[in-house]
Amino acid sequence: MKTFVEKIGVAAIDMTGSLKATLLFAIKVVFRMFDRNAYNSAVKMVLVEQIYFTSVQILPLFLTIAVIFGSILVIILMLVVKELGMVQYIGRFMIGFMVYELSPFITVILIALRSSSAINTEIAVMKVNKEIRTLEAFHIDAMNYLFLPRIINGIISVVFLNSLFSIVVLATGLIFSNFIFQMSFDTYTDVLINSIYFSDIIIMYLKCITYGVFITLIPIMFGLNATNELTSIPVSVLNGMVRVFIAIVIIEVLSLILKLI
Amino acid sequence: MPHKHAFKVGLFVIIATFLIVSTIGYLVYKKGMFEKVYTYTLSVKSGENLTTGMPVVFSGFTIGNVEDLELSEEGIVLIKIKIPKRHIKWIRSDSVFALDKPLIGSAKIIVQTKNLNSPELSADNILEIATSSDINEMVKRIHPILDTITKIATNIENITADLSNPQGDVHKILKNTQKLTANFSEKSSLLEMAVSDQDSVVALHAAMKNARGITVQIENTLKKVNAMAVKTDEKLYGDEGLLPLVNNILKDLVVKLQKLDATVGNINTISREAAGSAKDMEALREQIDATIYAIQELVDRLDNLVPFKKEPDMRLP
Repeated sequence: MKTFVEKIGVAAIDMTGSLKATLLFAIKVVFRMFDRNAYNSAVKMVLVEQIYFTSVQILPLFLTIAVIFGSILVIILMLVVKELGMVQYIGRFMIGFMVYELSPFITVILIALRSSSAINTEIAVMKVNKEIRTLEAFHIDAMNYLFLPRIINGIISVVFLNSLFSIVVLATGLIFSNFIFQMSFDTYTDVLINSIYFSDIIIMYLKCITYGVFITLIPIMFGLNATNELTSIPVSVLNGMVRVFIAIVIIEVLSLILKLI
Repeated sequence: MPHKHAFKVGLFVIIATFLIVSTIGYLVYKKGMFEKVYTYTLSVKSGENLTTGMPVVFSGFTIGNVEDLELSEEGIVLIKIKIPKRHIKWIRSDSVFALDKPLIGSAKIIVQTKNLNSPELSADNILEIATSSDINEMVKRIHPILDTITKIATNIENITADLSNPQGDVHKILKNTQKLTANFSEKSSLLEMAVSDQDSVVALHAAMKNARGITVQIENTLKKVNAMAVKTDEKLYGDEGLLPLVNNILKDLVVKLQKLDATVGNINTISREAAGSAKDMEALREQIDATIYAIQELVDRLDNLVPFKKEPDMRLP
């Protein structure tokens, strides 16, 4: 019994420690983000490279998924709304559910699946190969050169791709609202505009920024936790990705609470 | 050194930024963020179902929203609503505000304006809002049904109480039924059970036998009457019966009457002509009278002119 309680205690301490380390690291990164000296040509080059691999390279696939997935969800949503006789709330459903909730969630899941795992692996491999120690030996700040571009890339990618996803969903909504409800462009835009509140938009972008920070920061941290053995790489990636998903859920819940306040 | 992916990344950032900025700009423009906003105050007794941000709807379109809710010193809830300048034309001095609480969905304030040419509503006026609630309406409708159900439940309760009461009507009916069936099982016939007297049953049997004899006699009488009726039929309707004879007489009478009718017609004509002739005779007589009078006058004149006659002698005494 005592051992069981001790195990729980150890797990709680570990979790708290991990959370504290993550938040401290996040604060450090955020402060560094606003330091002008952190941005040199090498950092900018890495940032461009990261944005390319995370946002531009994925764009055709992302837009295709946005069109297909968005269309299916919009059709289902509109048919359900029609069946329930709640057509007057279509704007609230489209904006509140599709744009504020679903769009950031799908975007962050896609980016996490593709880029977070890549970042985690990359950092872990660098740790195993002692490349990070080499950078330190050459007095190159790993925080500036490795971490900062990836985290800024995470923020930019999530914000921009989320905006594109939302626009695609609203555009498909326009087409299907015309088919299902015989709604004109003006009516559709009026309905949407009446359902949009700037406070919700601000919360949505804050959520996207937070997503962007944590889906890159957590993999970096877990990559750095890798030991000198190659076998530690998959373990590091596994743990990192699990924490990324937990972070996504926590941020989603916190954003909902913030919206209700 | 320009990066090989710099152009693509730059293009992505520019397009995405443009889309975000233009979308937000369009929203700002359409929502009239920089437009002048008018504030009106409404009052209501209860702040139930009221929330800040609640829409103010005119003809199904949102034209504003609730900005603030306050409780006055008198305990009345004051609602401050924001209406953008472009929608101010719908708010007039005769506008009526109502709080609509649908069964499904959020509550809203509905504005109804009778005359859009009425003067603008003053911001100092505090209008009271009416409340319409789907739930309350349903409750009102359900009340009579509930009353009926209550009555039915009371009746059922009475019936069950009666069932459980040994002195109740149901038990009495059951007891009577039991007696009846017992009585029925003891009697040899239904008749005996009904009259409860053996002698009466015997008397009734004798009476029934007599009735049978009477029935036979009545049957014989009816046969005789029937035979008489057959004979009467022959005398009345036979070839030489009374009715064919009467029929022939009537036919002959009809022919004769027709002839008589023609004669009467002739007589009428003659009498009409005679009446006309009488009128002619009168005229002729009048003419003869006139002629005689004319001749008389002529003779008198001639007498005056020609004294053929001697003057009469005047003899004095």
